[in-house]
Amino acid sequence: MSSVAASPVPVSPAAPKTPRPVLQLVDVRKLFDGFAAVDGISLDIEEGEFVTIVGPSGSGKTTLLRMLAGLESPSDGYITLRGELINDVPSNCRPTCLVFQSLALFPHMTVGDNIEFPLRVRKVAPDERRKRALELMAKVRLPEDYYAKNVMLCSGGEKQRVALARAFAYDPDVLFFDEPLSALDYKLKKLLEKELKDLHRESGKTFVYITHSLEEAMVMSDRIGVMRAGKLVQIGTPEQIYTAPADRFVAEFFGEVNVIPVRRSADGWLRRDGRPVAVAPGLAIAGDEASVVVRPEYMRFVTAEAGADNTLSGTIFNEYSLGSRLQYQVRSRTGRTFLVEVPRAAAWKGDGEVTIGWDAANAIVVGG
Amino acid sequence: MAETSLSAPAPKLTPGLRAALPVLALLAAGFLAPLLTVAAYAFATPKSFEVFRSFTLENFAAIFDVSNTVWMSFAWALALAFACVVILLIVCYPIAYGLNRVFGRWSGLVSVLFVFPLFVSENVRLYGWVLFFIKNGVLDGALKWFGFPGGPELLYTPGITLFGMVYVYLPFMLFPMTLGIAMIPRDLVDAARDLGAGRLMIWRAVELPLAMPGILIGALLTFVLSAGAVAESKILGGQSVITITQDIEAAFTYAQNWPLGSALALILVLIVSGLALAAMARLDLDKILGKR
Amino acid sequence: MHTLGETRSRFLIRAWTAFVVLAIYLPIACGALAGLSKGRYFAFPVRVFSGEWWEKTWDSFEIHVLVQNSLLIALIVTVLSVLFAFFGALAFARYPWKGRRAFQRLLLLPIFFPQPVLGLALLLWFNALGISPTWKTAVVAHLVWIVPVVTLVIAIQVFSFDPVLEEAASDLGASRLFTLRTVTLPILWPGIWSGALFAFLLSWGNFPLSLYTAGADSTVPKWLYSKMVAGYTPMVPALGTMSTLAAAALLLAGGLIRILVRRRMR
Repeated sequence: MSSVAASPVPVSPAAPKTPRPVLQLVDVRKLFDGFAAVDGISLDIEEGEFVTIVGPSGSGKTTLLRMLAGLESPSDGYITLRGELINDVPSNCRPTCLVFQSLALFPHMTVGDNIEFPLRVRKVAPDERRKRALELMAKVRLPEDYYAKNVMLCSGGEKQRVALARAFAYDPDVLFFDEPLSALDYKLKKLLEKELKDLHRESGKTFVYITHSLEEAMVMSDRIGVMRAGKLVQIGTPEQIYTAPADRFVAEFFGEVNVIPVRRSADGWLRRDGRPVAVAPGLAIAGDEASVVVRPEYMRFVTAEAGADNTLSGTIFNEYSLGSRLQYQVRSRTGRTFLVEVPRAAAWKGDGEVTIGWDAANAIVVGG
Repeated sequence: MAETSLSAPAPKLTPGLRAALPVLALLAAGFLAPLLTVAAYAFATPKSFEVFRSFTLENFAAIFDVSNTVWMSFAWALALAFACVVILLIVCYPIAYGLNRVFGRWSGLVSVLFVFPLFVSENVRLYGWVLFFIKNGVLDGALKWFGFPGGPELLYTPGITLFGMVYVYLPFMLFPMTLGIAMIPRDLVDAARDLGAGRLMIWRAVELPLAMPGILIGALLTFVLSAGAVAESKILGGQSVITITQDIEAAFTYAQNWPLGSALALILVLIVSGLALAAMARLDLDKILGKR
Repeated sequence: MHTLGETRSRFLIRAWTAFVVLAIYLPIACGALAGLSKGRYFAFPVRVFSGEWWEKTWDSFEIHVLVQNSLLIALIVTVLSVLFAFFGALAFARYPWKGRRAFQRLLLLPIFFPQPVLGLALLLWFNALGISPTWKTAVVAHLVWIVPVVTLVIAIQVFSFDPVLEEAASDLGASRLFTLRTVTLPILWPGIWSGALFAFLLSWGNFPLSLYTAGADSTVPKWLYSKMVAGYTPMVPALGTMSTLAAAALLLAGGLIRILVRRRMR
């Protein structure tokens, strides 16, 4: 079990300063026919936070969210909301709202009817409902004349906004999001990411978001939790996860990395060929085997003028364009492939035989 | 609602089971119970009403006795049913294909045209054919009006009985077949053509196998329904063909030989339901009916 | 777009279908003709057209009783079928439960079954139970066949109903009953409406089951058959044509209502 990075409590500008976390999970487990989809997760979510849970498909993040929303019950463990146990409280009794991946808009209703639905449930008078619906539509930037439009005739982005308006209609304490942006194209996604973040800041509500897209997670979250095979592998700010990953899985999940296997020596870490590796001070690693992880953008070509703490020699065998950056694939003497990313302006102009290097500050040791 | 790790010994009253109970009760009392009674009577003493008190195989012996003509009814029924299926396979395939690929916007209307006759009782429809084929009927009269000698004597033959069956059971072959062809993804045909396959080969290697579930359902349904048919032979066929159901009916009514009738019915039911269950065992009904 | 060979096959397909459609409606047309001819026995070409047989049919007391019986049976069958089939469809398509696959197959058995044989088996069953066949037993017989059909029709609608919608309604605070009323039923109603329509029409026009299980009570198809066998009058094709027209009118009306309601929801 890799260690979970301790994180200071992040404070969003608009969040009230409550000492107790709004949502708490203690050793929560969910079993389906003996298979543990969620395998002992403990997590504190603070009031007003934007927490994103990321993980590959099948890691259990959707199951976790459904338990928080009340659509599934935990097999084991406790979930509390503001200190009250809510394990068996059904979803219609929780002051929370889940925005589904498919948005789950009622196809036989108009935009207005959809947004007003939770208000109708709570027996709000029709005029009051209409007023509130129009307010919410303005908040999510939907034109007023959409009120009577059948919701299925709206575009993808518009449907998202309707789903958001509906979610906010009855002022839930916590909002859950199940990969709502995954089906949208890039431009729309970027726009809605920004709007979601703004909504979060303005409303001051707690958002729990799941996605498999690291970009979304990095852009929007106060904290990110990484899940794998039902367990929470690491939780921390985006900065922490990126620069101090708990293990190789987390490091590789957040982008392409160069991995160098090392073994422990008396005063540090040694590469396979015996040369020492200068690394950044990081987490304590158990055992004698580990990996040093260097992100491609921290690799560079070493010349007589510009050195580096650690170097190795190899041959360039491929070059890719990544827009404003170029990525080179370099094969080392041992046959390992390394990735070097440089800005276009610093394109390598020499021949294929190169020396690449990185600084100790950017070399992170991880277990696994 | 913590999950138990042991399975409950008795079936839990899940929402699914609860929802199914009314229908289950209806089918148990209205379908299974009568069939079981028929099965019980099949083993009773011939010409008696002593069900559950006697057990004999005499009825079956009587059926399989070659000197008896009863087995002929079986032979007729099964042969006619088989012929009906073969004819309908050929008749319906082009139409099913058309409904999927050719008719476009008109498919809906054409489907309705084919469905509607199911709501008109079959004896009314079959009698229309009687009016068509009878002496001085539509065919006979029309030909005579044009100066030809009258129409052929088609009624009251096995042939016209078969014709009647083809007519009545056409929708039951057409709709499953249409569903079957609908399950062929369009891209596959295009891909096969792009790879150079000729029309016949595409049909044989791509379309036919993929439509097979629907075709088989249609064939099965048609066979099963026409094997037990009685209206066509009574109305159109007269005495030329006695189907097995007619024999069963006779045994139950004026012959008052319930055990014999039950034995006949039991054999028919075994054939029919056996085929149905065998085919259904291989089908994924969820997928066919459109489960997401 | 189409090759010459393809265009020709498409034409042939259209021609064949048109031919078959004509053949299907030909006997119905013959029946319509026979009901409108003046003479007692049908002869083609019809020399004199007359509406007298239609009038006689319309006025006949016996036929009124028949129509009432058929209507009564059909209405009861419709209401009961929809009730049974609604829950049956949920069990068929929605809830994952242990016996679901077996249930699906059991449900199909009465459909993959020759109706006359079912009618005869029911006759035996009723007699064994000591119940004499009347229109009530005919209702039961109709239900055994029609409920599975209607269940399938509604199940097809249920299959395309996303269960996530009910979860969303619950998440937004709705109780089970509220969800049923405002989300589930409105979305399922086209299937339920079609099912009801089918149930009515299939019961109204049913011949083999009514023949064996209605006992002394007569329905329209039963009476028509008895007259076809012995005692033909042009009232037979007249009533047959009227019955067909009524079915067509009902189907059209049902379809129109469905289109109108759908348009209103836009």
